[in-house]
Amino acid sequence: MALHRTIISASILSVTADDERDMADVDTRREYGGGGGFRQNGGGGRAYGGNKRKRGREDDDVEQGRPDRRPRHSEAPPGTRLRRALLEIGDDPLRLPQEAAQNAAKLATENYEDEYVRDTFCTVALKLAVEQPFKIPMIAGVIQYANADNSEVAKDIISKAASQLQEYLDGGHWRELKLVLRLIACLSPLYEEDGVLPVLDELFNRAVDLQTASQEDAVGLELVKVILLTIPYLLAANGDAALQQAASELLARTDIIASAQNPLEPLVDPYPDANSPDEKPMACASVISLLQRQLQDEESNGWPLKCIPRVYDPSFKQANTNGDAPEETKSDEEAKPTPKHAFPTITVPSTVNPGPKALFPEIYFSLYADQEIESVPPTSSISACLLRDAILDTINILDFNRNATARFLNDIDCYWAPDTFVKRSTAFDKLRDMPSGKSTWKPEDVAIDAIFSQIFQLPTPEHRLVYYHSLITESCKISPGAIAPSLGRAIRFLFRGVDSMDMELAFRFMDWFGHHLSNFEFRWKWAEWIPELDLSALSPKKAFIIGTLEKEIQLSFAKRVRDTLPADYHPLIPPSKENEIPEFKYNDDTTPYAKEGREMLQMLRKKAAEDEIQTVLNTVQQQALAHGTPDPLVPSTDIYMTSILSIGSKSLSHVLSTIDRCKERLLAVGAQSELARRQIITSVVNFWSDHLGTAVNIIDKLLNYTIVTPMSVIQWTLQDRMDRGRALASLLAYELVSITMFKVTNRVRQVLRERNNMALPYEQRQQIDEALPRERQGMRDLFAAIEDAVAGVAAGAQDEMVERYEDGDQEAEMVKMWGQKWLRVWRRKAAVEEAVVGELVIGPLEEPVVLPEAVAEVEAEDDMDQVA
Amino acid sequence: MPQFQMRSTVERLDKPSSYAMSKYKKRRRPSGDDANRAPSPDLEEKLRDASTLYVGNLSFYTTEEQIHALFSKAGELKRLVMGLDRFSKTPCGFCFVEYYTHEDALDCLKYIGGTKLDERIIRCDLDEGFSEGRQYGRGKSGGQVRDEYREEFDPGRGGFGKKFREDEQAYGNEYGPGQ
Repeated sequence: MALHRTIISASILSVTADDERDMADVDTRREYGGGGGFRQNGGGGRAYGGNKRKRGREDDDVEQGRPDRRPRHSEAPPGTRLRRALLEIGDDPLRLPQEAAQNAAKLATENYEDEYVRDTFCTVALKLAVEQPFKIPMIAGVIQYANADNSEVAKDIISKAASQLQEYLDGGHWRELKLVLRLIACLSPLYEEDGVLPVLDELFNRAVDLQTASQEDAVGLELVKVILLTIPYLLAANGDAALQQAASELLARTDIIASAQNPLEPLVDPYPDANSPDEKPMACASVISLLQRQLQDEESNGWPLKCIPRVYDPSFKQANTNGDAPEETKSDEEAKPTPKHAFPTITVPSTVNPGPKALFPEIYFSLYADQEIESVPPTSSISACLLRDAILDTINILDFNRNATARFLNDIDCYWAPDTFVKRSTAFDKLRDMPSGKSTWKPEDVAIDAIFSQIFQLPTPEHRLVYYHSLITESCKISPGAIAPSLGRAIRFLFRGVDSMDMELAFRFMDWFGHHLSNFEFRWKWAEWIPELDLSALSPKKAFIIGTLEKEIQLSFAKRVRDTLPADYHPLIPPSKENEIPEFKYNDDTTPYAKEGREMLQMLRKKAAEDEIQTVLNTVQQQALAHGTPDPLVPSTDIYMTSILSIGSKSLSHVLSTIDRCKERLLAVGAQSELARRQIITSVVNFWSDHLGTAVNIIDKLLNYTIVTPMSVIQWTLQDRMDRGRALASLLAYELVSITMFKVTNRVRQVLRERNNMALPYEQRQQIDEALPRERQGMRDLFAAIEDAVAGVAAGAQDEMVERYEDGDQEAEMVKMWGQKWLRVWRRKAAVEEAVVGELVIGPLEEPVVLPEAVAEVEAEDDMDQVA
Repeated sequence: MPQFQMRSTVERLDKPSSYAMSKYKKRRRPSGDDANRAPSPDLEEKLRDASTLYVGNLSFYTTEEQIHALFSKAGELKRLVMGLDRFSKTPCGFCFVEYYTHEDALDCLKYIGGTKLDERIIRCDLDEGFSEGRQYGRGKSGGQVRDEYREEFDPGRGGFGKKFREDEQAYGNEYGPGQ
């Protein structure tokens, strides 16, 4: 079987030094023979532009000068060709999916006696179903074509798919369940009697149980979503009237769950701050309520299900591409009845496993839907949810190769019914001119819309936000001319709605926008937002602009960013921001304790003995006492900490090594006085006032050292520096509270994971279990402290607030609005943590069970290689 | 029995680069002719829990703070070691970034490697871990070897290559002086 072994490896020219990898960039990376199916746009995200993936047929795929091990033009073995044919199915826009499916089917049936071919077929087909959902209808087409010639092919795969489905069902892996179920549904015409609907019925019964048990249940919602997303694929594959009737009946039953509002829904609303639903930038309906209505609509129109490709067409004949004699007619064979198969046994457990992830209701987020020009499917169309679902699965499954994912999104029109979309790169303005009846859906808008829906997903998307950032970046690189205008419309839409946007999402928007611009020379039409510069710094739009520039500067530097802006923006980036190293305030003699401050700096620099340092600190404390300072430790801590910061001002590692050297004293002073501990934070923020990102970083590290405590950061931010609520509009306040709470919640989650880690000794887990309530309580206290601090502002009850505002009522209203924004965000975060680590959800400590020895798993070798 | 196994239907970006692999193989088998052999288990073992990344193609002017701002998007950083010119002790265009977990390092490979920092496309590679001495460039004049021989003008990395500037005839060994 050595011949089957394909080699996928990039050759590398030799480079010398240990830490020199950059040279590898210049080498020619290419796939060696037969490694088809990889979407490789430059290994590791390099070599952009070059190295375009071959989309042609195999015989076109001869690269010049490739040091092939096989004689050129010889055919790869059938298993390899089959694998490639399956993996590439649908990728080629110039080839009909029917033709590609027929060819793959032919490779399978003609070589099905070869065990390797059999293995390949099942493995690749099922792997594609759970990794590249766009291709499920095509894979189903291959199986149906193959079934006509050799019923074994379909029989094998149906049985394997069913056993995988069962595993996913038992494990609560809902996405994988949905996808394999979709494949099984697409094969509906092959069953003696269709069994998909009975499975859906059973799933629905479980959903009802779950919903009855708890109003807030989200697992039942997920099951209903799976049901509603399976029905269209089933009915598109099988037009049987009885089946349609049964689906309608099921649909009538799902309505009660799908159309009801889940009590957790307001928690994940991206636009909670609108005064009325009409004022929201988008409808913000739940995904399952939309699905329910869309399917009912399809039903009343006789289930057209237009966007789903119908790949299997028994009458389809390939055009003769080889120039050989015309193929003989196959009319005799066509008359053969399709071999049928028994529907596999699938058992829906009486109590479903909720699965490894905490679930929340899902809102349909769209930047482009239901607007004047229909550049994406309207939310009334089933295509909206079918496309979105398949795109999101593709994005979230393939996070390990954003280049491949971006390519799939770029090629999305290859995988859906012809004429689902308007031609790629059609300008938005041209959509008006489309003849009626023709689709005006821009593939770029549909893809970008889906990516943004993840960035704006509450409580959190599946992957780190930076993944979705980089996916947008890659999409722009593949097709800049087509994507950039769509992005422009997205940004303007988001900016217009920023006032009523959930605050956490507004910060995500800012973080994405700053990061995105840093990848594209900071180019943006800033001129169009000049009028917004006149707004109060408390307006969310102005706060967004200020925060974005701050983010840009953090990734670049002040002068660079200023040079990309119209002059009207320059006051937002004062010249002091260009000073990379801040002034040491004690150099100015008018600063109290200037002499001692300078002395301290010298002593720390030359690493003076601790008692010498103490002498200076004592002098300061004595003077402070004489001046009647309430806590003499405060000024002495200021000179100590500010000196540390000054010594460390060259870089983060400088300051860290200095803090490390001085940590004992800092720890001691904090333990002695809470005011002194908060002074440490004050010193950091004051020293780095022009580079607040650096201040946040340093405080983050001080939290790690426990030099400052989470509570001290929260209270410093939301009491000491509250500025009667004005602080709530600042990036600094949000970031300080966010990093602190992230650290705390992350720790509690970690403790819980360890408690449930069956690999640890039971005794140790018991100890962790005992510590858990304390950790959880600490977290709850912090959430409560945030709530206390911001609830007053939200209610407008901040002491003597109104009189103190220069702008009177208007400013008071804005501050109140920020209070409400904060309240909503932190209440949600508290609720989410309760859903993850609360005692109601985690259950009692599981006692160890003696497991039968696990079957040793054969580890998959390098991606596609066969394990010999 | 032949059994077909497949880890994923598209290549993964969270693997050590072929450069790291080839470098490793080279060290072990100087005559190494079999470039296509499966990677040696030792290196895979070493990188299995690796939480450090080598980051290359930085500008000499990129600061720790900028690196921090970008790389912390994939997880909290444990340590950041700037690559320095052996003689001048100034940044010479690479660094090591260490995360607290292996998963964060993989996220970084997947989501940050190949994107821009300070307007340059940076590259990331899984690394077996920083050890003292590796922060210095290994080129003749103190920086990285690639900057000795570079023929293109790169304002972010000291202009033309140092060696190239000295002797434009120095061709033939543009990949370094060998092992």
